[in-house]
Amino acid sequence: MRTVPAANIAAVGVAAPTLRLAAADVAAAWGRAGGRGQCAVCAHDEDTLTLAWEAADTAVAAAGLTTDAVDGLWWGTSRPPFAEGPSHAHLAAALGLPAGVSGALTAGSAHAGMEALLGAWDAVAAGTASAALVVVSDAVLPGTGTSMEVAAGAAAGAVVLTTADGPATLTARSTHSRPVLDRYRGDGEDETRDSYDARLFREQVFLPALAEVGAKLPGADGQRWSLPDPDGRLGRAAARVLGTAAPASAAARAELGDTGAAAALVGGAAALAEPGPLTLVGMGGGRTTGVVVEVSAPVPGADAVGARLERGRAAPYAEVLRARRRLVPAGEQVEMAVPPGSAMFVRGGPEVLGLLGGRCVACGTLNVPPSIHPTCVACGADKFDLVPLARRGRVHTFVVNHAMPAPFEAPLPLAVLDLDDGGRVMLQVVGTGAELAVGTPVELVLRRYAVERGVPVYGWKARAVDGEGTG
Amino acid sequence: MAWNRVAVVGAGLIPFGELFDQGYEQMAAGAFRAAVGSVDHGFDPALVDAAFVATQRGTLWGQEGIGGNTVPTAIGLAGVACTRIENACPSGSDAFRVGCMAVASGVHDVVLVIGVEKMRDKSSEEGLLARAAGGHPVYTRGESAPVLFAPFATRHMHEFGTTREMLAAVAVKNHHNGTLDPYAHFRNEVTVDDVLAAPPVCHPLGLLDCCPQTDGAAAVLLVSADRAQDFTDRPVYVAGFGTATDHPYLHEKADFVGLPATTLAAGRAYEMAGVGPAELDMAEVHDCFTITEILDVEDLGFCDKGKGGVLALEGETAIDGRLPVNPSGGLLAKGHPIGATGVAQLTECWWQLREQAEDRQVALRHGFALQHNVGGRGSGVAVVNVLTTNR
Repeated sequence: MRTVPAANIAAVGVAAPTLRLAAADVAAAWGRAGGRGQCAVCAHDEDTLTLAWEAADTAVAAAGLTTDAVDGLWWGTSRPPFAEGPSHAHLAAALGLPAGVSGALTAGSAHAGMEALLGAWDAVAAGTASAALVVVSDAVLPGTGTSMEVAAGAAAGAVVLTTADGPATLTARSTHSRPVLDRYRGDGEDETRDSYDARLFREQVFLPALAEVGAKLPGADGQRWSLPDPDGRLGRAAARVLGTAAPASAAARAELGDTGAAAALVGGAAALAEPGPLTLVGMGGGRTTGVVVEVSAPVPGADAVGARLERGRAAPYAEVLRARRRLVPAGEQVEMAVPPGSAMFVRGGPEVLGLLGGRCVACGTLNVPPSIHPTCVACGADKFDLVPLARRGRVHTFVVNHAMPAPFEAPLPLAVLDLDDGGRVMLQVVGTGAELAVGTPVELVLRRYAVERGVPVYGWKARAVDGEGTG
Repeated sequence: MAWNRVAVVGAGLIPFGELFDQGYEQMAAGAFRAAVGSVDHGFDPALVDAAFVATQRGTLWGQEGIGGNTVPTAIGLAGVACTRIENACPSGSDAFRVGCMAVASGVHDVVLVIGVEKMRDKSSEEGLLARAAGGHPVYTRGESAPVLFAPFATRHMHEFGTTREMLAAVAVKNHHNGTLDPYAHFRNEVTVDDVLAAPPVCHPLGLLDCCPQTDGAAAVLLVSADRAQDFTDRPVYVAGFGTATDHPYLHEKADFVGLPATTLAAGRAYEMAGVGPAELDMAEVHDCFTITEILDVEDLGFCDKGKGGVLALEGETAIDGRLPVNPSGGLLAKGHPIGATGVAQLTECWWQLREQAEDRQVALRHGFALQHNVGGRGSGVAVVNVLTTNR
């Protein structure tokens, strides 16, 4: 077997969406008995991009890097926010990566997460990237009323790969390919199909593929491994075959459901805290890939994984249906005066996604957003340095709006924030606003503000730091 | 100051409300007829040689992009010089200010200032309570009109201990005044408990903290002071006016306890008129929300900053109080048909100074009345006009 030059993991980060759907609630709604477990669901303003941002931002911070040091971004997701469009560029801008950042968006199946990891590994090994950010995210949209509805989850994971010595090393890889129709979604289709026979695929496709991949992975000891589990039984079945305990990914699977392209990394992220070999397995689109990670020391960020994945709140089925836009109000929606494809977004897109301010060279005042401030609001000077605004601050004043037409959902809190760098912004706040007061500390998070004329529009929202988990 | 003095010789409005049976043109014609009919010695409409039309929200009735030229034909003055003034909520008061300048400069002799606004051809859901208030497509998303004022309530409460009961006292007072005004949209009393129990619109503001969505029109007739006696033996004069701007986005505000545009505009108007708050017998101020009146009375100098919350609570701004504020019922009860609002406030001032305000007549001591609007994104524009009985 050919050996591949190693790449090292400098840090890891994960993100989970806000909502948790209990299978029992879904069963009751459909007049069925029982229902076990839960899955993670994106709130109305979350998606694979906002999750990817949060996981990546966390990983970069844990690595102790500034974003301008990241020179490659590999993002794997089965659901890029734009089926065709600037998905990768949006994520790079939101993360504040340099405009010259290399990398790729991999998509097309739940295997996309492993493709992103392998692509970044190759780039680091080849020397075309020195600090590669790998992000995997997914938010499966199942058909309403299908068995997949309570199995399909959402999450994101990210690692920073470097050539420098690191606490964990990618040492081996193996891929197996076979043209079978597993998880599937056609061109223009919204929902992922619950098309395959669970037992057929478990016994005839997935387990044999795992065996093929495992057999070609030197260093995989079969003790710690992470894999996607579409029907919630594959993990146990594989453990029986291997004669080992439950996979490392069992905890994440129980909390989040099947997170598709994100499952291998998200499921194994917590295990990066303990030395020893760890095998990550990703599957989808008929392809299965295993990667062996040799952990020599706790990977920065790994200790926070468990708490971050548990950050969420139980949501009733109706809220989940609204968030997934399966339950939508009749009537017209209020659209922005400015379409997302218009000149204003060409001028102002980077400053909105990057949350940039113009710092007045003369007096230091931050002018937000820069594009509409050719003149400093404080001193009237006209020279500015473009800078990212601080992502933390405190509530200066706030409101909770209750009277708005679709697509807004009341209650909608909005707050004027005094940011830690002296900047001032007024942004929406996630949650109900019940925890807000003048002086409440907040952090800023990327969220999807709306889907305008079919186009997702992103911006920043505030989240009460003390209100974590109440999203 | 070298300007020809201006007199208001006629003023009138149509009863405000949800005027489903009247279109924009009918409302304009009704207001013009009311103004013409109010001129003591009679008025030939053909004397009007320029008109200034205030209409802010053409978008609410599908007339965006229409200049002032809808109105002359509607009121029988086709051919007259006519300009539309759009300056957010102060559109009506600014049209008055511009009309005054047209007369004061000597360019025009007889000027019509008419404000017309059709708000209720659209539902509440499509009105200003619910719709986005414009501005940046992302940064201002979710901002309806109440969002532009409610942050000031939150902060005023935080810094000065202002309470919801103090806000409610403004609504109670203005609704009471509205019961005395036959032109008011709402003519019912409300209690503090009613206000506190009303559904939330934009925390900390509830439904009764907000003005309604109202149709209306109002008109005034301006002439040079030298010609006033041709029309009336009881003219009201323009003592002064001022307007000012402030940053348009909320996050740019220096603080959230006052509206600087109001203070600047008032200072300019007071200086021009040569009077201050102590000489005012009454004021019609912009109470689009209860908190706005509290900010106004502070920013206009009626009381110290932070003390506005107690004025209504202690009756100081009631019709029989130290300085009556919004005897017409204000925007909260009379209504806020945006372009018409300022012109209707001036009509109330005109009636009060001529002692024609019937049950809501205030005591005249100095013969000065103040009218004020503030609005636009971030309350970035304010206009103050001062009228007087003194030549």
